Amino acid sequence: MNKVNLSEIRDILLSCEKPSRYTGGEYGLPAAKEGEINFCMCFPDLYEVGMSNLGIKIVAKSFTQRGYCADFCFAPAKDFGKKIKERGFPLYSLSLKAPLKEFDIVGFSLQYELCYTNVLYMLDLAGIPLRREDRKGKGYPLIIAGGPCAANPEPLADFIDVFFIGDGETCDADAAEIYKKLGDTEEFYREISKIDGVYCPCLTDVIYGEDGKIKSFEGIKKVKRALIDDLDGAIFPEQIAVPNCESVHDRAVIEVMRGCYRGCRFCQAGFIYRPVRKRSVQTLTRQASALIKNTGYDEVSLNSLSTGDYGKLKELLFSLKKELPPEVTLALPSLRVDSFEGEFAQEARRISLTFAPEAGTQRLRDVINKDITEEEILHAAESAFNAGYSAVKLYFMLGLPTETDEDLKGIADLCVKIRKLYGKQKRAKQLRISISVATFIPKPFTPFQWEKQATEEEVEQKQQFLRSVLPNGVKFSWNSYYPSLLEAAFARGDRPLGKVLEAAYKNGCVFDGWDSELDGEKWKDAFNSCGISPCEYSRGRDEDEILPWDFIDMYIEKKLLL
Amino acid sequence: MIAFRYTKTDGAEYLSHLDLLRHIDRTLRRAGVEVKYSEGFNKHPRIFMANPLALGVKSVAEYCTVDCDFTGDFKKVFNTFSPDGIKCLSYKIVEKNAEYAESIKACTYFAKGITPFDANEVLQKDGIIITDLRGRCVDIRPRIYSLEEADGGIKFTLGCGTNNLRPDLFCSFLQSVYGGGVTEIIKTDCAGDNLF
Repeated sequence: MNKVNLSEIRDILLSCEKPSRYTGGEYGLPAAKEGEINFCMCFPDLYEVGMSNLGIKIVAKSFTQRGYCADFCFAPAKDFGKKIKERGFPLYSLSLKAPLKEFDIVGFSLQYELCYTNVLYMLDLAGIPLRREDRKGKGYPLIIAGGPCAANPEPLADFIDVFFIGDGETCDADAAEIYKKLGDTEEFYREISKIDGVYCPCLTDVIYGEDGKIKSFEGIKKVKRALIDDLDGAIFPEQIAVPNCESVHDRAVIEVMRGCYRGCRFCQAGFIYRPVRKRSVQTLTRQASALIKNTGYDEVSLNSLSTGDYGKLKELLFSLKKELPPEVTLALPSLRVDSFEGEFAQEARRISLTFAPEAGTQRLRDVINKDITEEEILHAAESAFNAGYSAVKLYFMLGLPTETDEDLKGIADLCVKIRKLYGKQKRAKQLRISISVATFIPKPFTPFQWEKQATEEEVEQKQQFLRSVLPNGVKFSWNSYYPSLLEAAFARGDRPLGKVLEAAYKNGCVFDGWDSELDGEKWKDAFNSCGISPCEYSRGRDEDEILPWDFIDMYIEKKLLL
Repeated sequence: MIAFRYTKTDGAEYLSHLDLLRHIDRTLRRAGVEVKYSEGFNKHPRIFMANPLALGVKSVAEYCTVDCDFTGDFKKVFNTFSPDGIKCLSYKIVEKNAEYAESIKACTYFAKGITPFDANEVLQKDGIIITDLRGRCVDIRPRIYSLEEADGGIKFTLGCGTNNLRPDLFCSFLQSVYGGGVTEIIKTDCAGDNLF
């Protein structure tokens, strides 16, 4: 592969924010060596976001473990992206500094729908044609994608050659092995389609009826999700790069479990990562110790969808405390209300506690199957207050199925009760309560996949009502509507939506996941120019309607979701 | 305590001062050098850096003091566990913090890429007014201690600390008068107390 020479862009680097994001040289970055297969793992968001992601490190390791080359690349911030594009300097990889175009395979991690324009942005900066059709037979890299959003790959089907659905520990590298033998041939696509988790859009056609709804899938009609049975023995990257500049979660990460015991009906992750798989205390301790030794981090995060549900949590915490250097702290994100115990909290010096009751009344919490009671929330809050916490942040969703004003009123009532609880004892600090509401987005493979998303007017009314009933002094924050609508459209979208995505990118949309960057007007233009309305995707669906993602087998019976 | 001289080259010149501090902290932890922590509510490792280097300026003359009781081969372990470009050149055991941020008074640099010119012409001027990064007009002439042609580039010494002048600003000034394009600036030495 050819390499770029960074001294040619010294002036650009020095005129951009945080240039160390683009220079490589991270401590511990596995030295990429060119191999039989050269793979570049891309993350379509900023360096400091991507460097915190565990998934891309797992996939990269699955390649290097087989002796292939795996390098990384992140979406450059707009200042750097604009300047290298103007100069015609290609987007390059972190370790080898090779242009993306020189790699055999370029993979994207799809963590959230609003990063899709960034996939096109990175391809564009790399000088790779965006559309699958335009690359065909021209010697460009094979473009692949995976991650949670691949659960409904269709909006990106025009741009991506191969999707990997489900666990990425083996299927990506399995397909690469076949690519090495067969190259970019029809036989290659046929062959890899036999692997669980592989979806090749070129082998599946979607037939629409006159009503604009899907009539059938032709070609390969069923794609199974890739599933790793043994998480304990699965690939785990113990040698990772320490970011040059501070990343969003700048710490060592171990994956305690994959999947979640709860079945919250709104939660896509709760369904697409089934069943629950765990790592042993022994394995986790070994991995955490190795990470701390290899990185010099002073914090380990115990990640999973619900770490409090890990049966041997106490044993694990004890084991980690014993084996890790004394200054290393443990972070437990995603603790559920009912698993919160003051004793964990006391170890970390924190003042704010975050709960996600999601809905204001027991009735609605039952509807969404969020199995916590008000009593549990209050109990958890009280033990936190007694442990010295003086601020509570509560997350709710707005626009849930069957929601009424009564449920919104419940949010206000909960605030009053929490405040009363805090006032029971004399405490040094004044209590701060903040409420954050997000618009509910019905996601594929959840029991709410047929539901409609609340309209802009409905959401505004609900927000206004909530504001009017909330007690004084409660900080209220909400998400703007348009990003939620876009997220719903791309989560539930079909292939024609790809046109809108491309038009939006050409209008200049990138980094849509960043509130400050999302430009609703440009998106509206893009939808209009394609003659498509986002509301076609946020509408409710009939139970017998064929959904764009129905050809994917997530190992969830559709009947179970109804 | 250990005082050491180290490099900031090979890409590390793009690291911000704060990130550099973080890297040194992590390097020491990986190396098993137990750094002492400050007392108080927000504990932080007792690592004392010299003045920040402007982004993009390389250096083979950075200094730092670390509060620890380490007695092994510091240079060897530091360099085993440090990122590319951040390498210890020499070290010594000291009684107290060398306070390099205060003690370093002048730094010598080497720069390439500016169209050759007569150094004396610059030095003979009574005053050189430039606009600094905050938009203020300042006379930089008193902060220029020496300037000469050397090895296909220029070698110059500027004030540091109270009489500070950033080498990149100085080079931009020269570039604006004589033309060319700076391709490299490297700090080669420092003058002040407690150096080695």
